Amino acid sequence: MADWSPRTIAALSWLFPLVAILVGLMALPDAVNDPLALTLGVTALVLGSLIGVATSNSGNRFTTGLAVAAALPLVLTDGMGRVDPSGTVISYDGVDFAGAVVIYGFGLAAVWALRYARGESHVDLVPALVRRLAGYVVYALVYSTMRIGIFAEFAGGWEDLLPFAVALAAWLAVEVGLRSLLVVGPRELSRTYLARALLHDLNVFLGLTLTGALFGELYPALEIWALPIALLPYSFAHSAFARFQETKTTYKQTIRALARIPEVSGLGVDGHADRTTELASAMAKEMGLGPNQVEQVEFAGLMHDIGRVSLNEPNVITMGYTDDDIARWSAEIIAEAPYLDRVAEDVRNQYEPYRRPGESSNPEVTAVARIVKVAAAYDWQIHRDGRSPLQAMEHLHAGSAYEYDAEVVASLRRLLTSRGIISGSNRLSVG
Amino acid sequence: MEKKRKRRLGRWFSHLRPTVRARLRVAVPYALIGVSSLVVAFILSDMPGWGVWTAFAALFVLLEFFAVEVNDRLMQSSSVMVIMTAGVIFAIRADSSAMFAMALMGAAGPLVPSDFKERRWFQPIANFGQMALSGALAGLVLDLSLNPFSGAIEVNDLLGVVLASLLAALVYTTTQNLLIRHAVKTVYGGENLEPWSKMGMLFGSQVAMGLLGGLIGAAYLIANREAILVLIVGVYGIGHMSLYAFAQLRDSHIGSLRGFVKTLEAKDMYTRGHTERVAYFAQLIGEELDFSGTQLEAIRWAALIHDLGKLAVPTELIRKRGRLDDAEYEVMKDHAHLVEEILAEVDFLQPMVEIASGHHSHFDGNGYGGRGHTEGRSPSLEACIVAVADSFDAMTSARSYRMALSQQYALGELRRHSGGQFHPEVVDAFERALNKTGRRWGAPHVNDEEMARRLAEEPELTLRG
Repeated sequence: MADWSPRTIAALSWLFPLVAILVGLMALPDAVNDPLALTLGVTALVLGSLIGVATSNSGNRFTTGLAVAAALPLVLTDGMGRVDPSGTVISYDGVDFAGAVVIYGFGLAAVWALRYARGESHVDLVPALVRRLAGYVVYALVYSTMRIGIFAEFAGGWEDLLPFAVALAAWLAVEVGLRSLLVVGPRELSRTYLARALLHDLNVFLGLTLTGALFGELYPALEIWALPIALLPYSFAHSAFARFQETKTTYKQTIRALARIPEVSGLGVDGHADRTTELASAMAKEMGLGPNQVEQVEFAGLMHDIGRVSLNEPNVITMGYTDDDIARWSAEIIAEAPYLDRVAEDVRNQYEPYRRPGESSNPEVTAVARIVKVAAAYDWQIHRDGRSPLQAMEHLHAGSAYEYDAEVVASLRRLLTSRGIISGSNRLSVG
Repeated sequence: MEKKRKRRLGRWFSHLRPTVRARLRVAVPYALIGVSSLVVAFILSDMPGWGVWTAFAALFVLLEFFAVEVNDRLMQSSSVMVIMTAGVIFAIRADSSAMFAMALMGAAGPLVPSDFKERRWFQPIANFGQMALSGALAGLVLDLSLNPFSGAIEVNDLLGVVLASLLAALVYTTTQNLLIRHAVKTVYGGENLEPWSKMGMLFGSQVAMGLLGGLIGAAYLIANREAILVLIVGVYGIGHMSLYAFAQLRDSHIGSLRGFVKTLEAKDMYTRGHTERVAYFAQLIGEELDFSGTQLEAIRWAALIHDLGKLAVPTELIRKRGRLDDAEYEVMKDHAHLVEEILAEVDFLQPMVEIASGHHSHFDGNGYGGRGHTEGRSPSLEACIVAVADSFDAMTSARSYRMALSQQYALGELRRHSGGQFHPEVVDAFERALNKTGRRWGAPHVNDEEMARRLAEEPELTLRG
C-alpha cells in the first residue's frame, strides 16, 4: 500500500468513528437484543482500553481492552447453558457475531475519541484502529462460523478451545499482515520489522486474549464469580509484564548513563554514543532485523566506545593506542555483564572489515557489528571531523569495498533521504 | 544408654567435614519426615485420578524449576497455586482425597535437573521432606474442610472453598517456611535469613496464590469444562515466564553495574574489592539499625555506585603516592558531582545517587559532595552509613603508600571523629555489628599511620617482624 499523505490520514481519521457508529447503528436491530448487554460491553471495552498493560520496546501498545474484546464472542454465544441430564454442556446454538462486532465497533470509536482528545496523532491512530477492527471482524467471524459447525457438538471438553484457537490465529495473522502493509507517513521501519515486532510481543497478546477466553468460558456457570477468577491469574501476568518493562527501561537508562562516562571524562565526542545508537537502531529496523537484534544494536551502539575510559591510564598515555585497542577494551568491559556476551563479541568485531580480499563476507562480523560500525563512522565524520552528511556518505561509499558493508551504507542513505538530511536525487560527487 | 548411642553416632560422623555434618543433621530427619508424610497420607487417603494428577504434577515440577529468586536463597515459585488447585479438585471429587495427592506432588517437586547436574544432594533431600509434609498437612486440611461439598459443588459453596483454601494455603506456606528457615539456619547460619517481619510480602503473595489455586479448582468443578484448566495454565504460564524473564533481566542489570565497578577498581589494585566491601559494611550497619528491606537495598546500590565518578578521574591521580596538591584535590572532589552527572537520567537510582554523592559530607556539616551535601548541615543517615563503611575500608586496606591498618586502629579513628566527621549512632552500630560477625579486618599489628607508611616503604621491615 502506498504511503498516505497527512491530509488523507486526517480525513480518514475523522471518517473512521463516523463510519463505525453508522455501521453499528444499522446492524444494531439485528445485533443486540439486550441494550444492557450493549452498554455493558461498550463500557467494559472502553474502561479496559484505558488500562494499559505494556508498551513494548518495539512500540506495540496493549491494553486490557484486548481481553474484553476476546471475551465478547464467547459471552455472546447462545445456548451455552444447554446441558444434558448429567450436567455436561452439550451444544451451542450459535454466536451473536453481529453483536460482538457492533460492541467492538462502538467501543473502538469511543476509544478513538478519547485518544484523539488526549492529543495522539492521526498517523499513529488510524492504521492502528483500522488494523484492530479488521483483525477483530475476522476473529469473530471465524469463531462464529466454527461454533455453528462441527464444533457445536463438542461443547464442554477441551475441544471447546479449537474454534477459539483457530479464530485467534486468524486474528493474529490479520494483525501481523496489516501491521506490515498498512504503513502511513514517512517509512523508516521495514515491513519485516513491523511484523516481527508484533510477533515478538506474542506473550502479551496471548496473555490478554486467553484471559478473555477464560472469562467467556467461566461466565455461563459462575456469572459474577467469573470476573475475580479470570482476573486473578491475569493480575499476576499483568504485574509480571509491568515489572519486566520497568526493569528493561531502567536497565537501558543505566547502560546509557555508563556509556556516557568517556564523554563526561572528555575522552570521547559529546553525544556520540547516543547519536550512534539512534542511527544504528533506525538502520536495523529499516533493514528488517528482528526486535532482539535491534536491542542488541542498541546495547552495542551505546557501549561500543566505553573502552575509552582506559585512555587516561598512564601506560596508554605513554604508549598510545589504536582503534582496535578501544574495541578490545570495550568488549572486555561489556563482557563483565551477564547476558551481554554477544554484544561484547559484536563490539569486539565492529572494527574488523566486513570482508577481506578474496572473501564474500566475514561471518564473524555480524549484521549488528556492521550496522554499529557504519553508524559510528558516520557520526565521527560529522561531529568529530566536521564534514557534511553528503561528504560523510561519500567516505562510507568509498570504503564499502571492504570496510563498510554496502547494504548497510545503502540503508543509511535511504534513512537519511527519508529524513530529508540528504536529497534522494543527489548524486555523490567524485573528487 | 542414650549417651552411648550418641557417642557411637558421633564416631560415624566425626571424620566428616563440619559443613557435611551440618547438612546431614538436616537431610536425615527431613528425609524421614518426607517418607513418614507419604506413608501416613497413603494410609489415610483415597487415591487420586492418576491422569489428572500427572498433568498437575508435571506443571508443578516445571514451575518449581522456573522459580524466581526473591532474595538470598529464598525462591518464589507459583507452584503453590498448582498444588492447591489439584488439592481442591481431589478433595471435592467423591472418589478421591487430597492428602496423598498433595504429599506425592510435593515429594516430586525437588526433581529439578540443575540439582542433579551440579550433584547437589542436600537441597533435593531437604526440599523433599519439607514439601511432602507441607503438601500432606494442607491436603488434610482440605479433605476435612471440604468434606461437606464432596461429590457436588455449586456457586453458592464458593465462599466455603475460599475459607478452606485460605486455611490450607496458610498451613502449606507456614510449614514450608518454617522448615526451610530451620534448614538454612542450621546449614548456612542465621545471618543468611531475612527476619520474619520482612517476609510479609513474600508470605502474603504465597498465601494469595494458594487461595487463587483453590478457587480455580472449584471453578473448574462447577463449570465442568476442561477448557478452563487449559486457559488458566496458559495465562498463568505466560505470567510466570514473564516474571522469570524479569528476574533474569534484574540480575543482568545488577551484574552490569557490578561489572563496571570492577572495571573502575581494576584501575588501582589497591582498591580492588573496595566497593563490595563497602556494600557489605553498609549492610551490616543498616541491619544493626533495623532498616527495612527497601532501605537496605538502597544502601547496597548507593555503596555500589559511590565511587563511580572516579572512572572519570585520571588514573595517575587515583594511584598517586602521598598527599594531593590543591588542584589535584579539586579534581578528586569532582567525582562526587560526576556520579550525579553520569547517572542523572537513571530515574530509579536518584535516591541512591544522593546518598552516594554525600558520602564525603561530614556529620557536622563540613566536607564536600554533590547534592547530598549541604554546607553546615548533616547529610542523610544513609550517606553517614556509606561514609563510615567507606572510611573503615580505606583504613583497613593497603594503599600504594602505606600498609593496611588494624581494625582496632580504624575503629579508634572512627570513634575519635565520631560526632564530627562521623555520625555517632552509626559508628556505635558499626562497632556492635562488627563484633557480632567475629571477623577481623586489616593488618592485626599495624596500629599507627607512621608505622604503616614505613612498612610500605621498607618491606623488609615486615620480614624482620
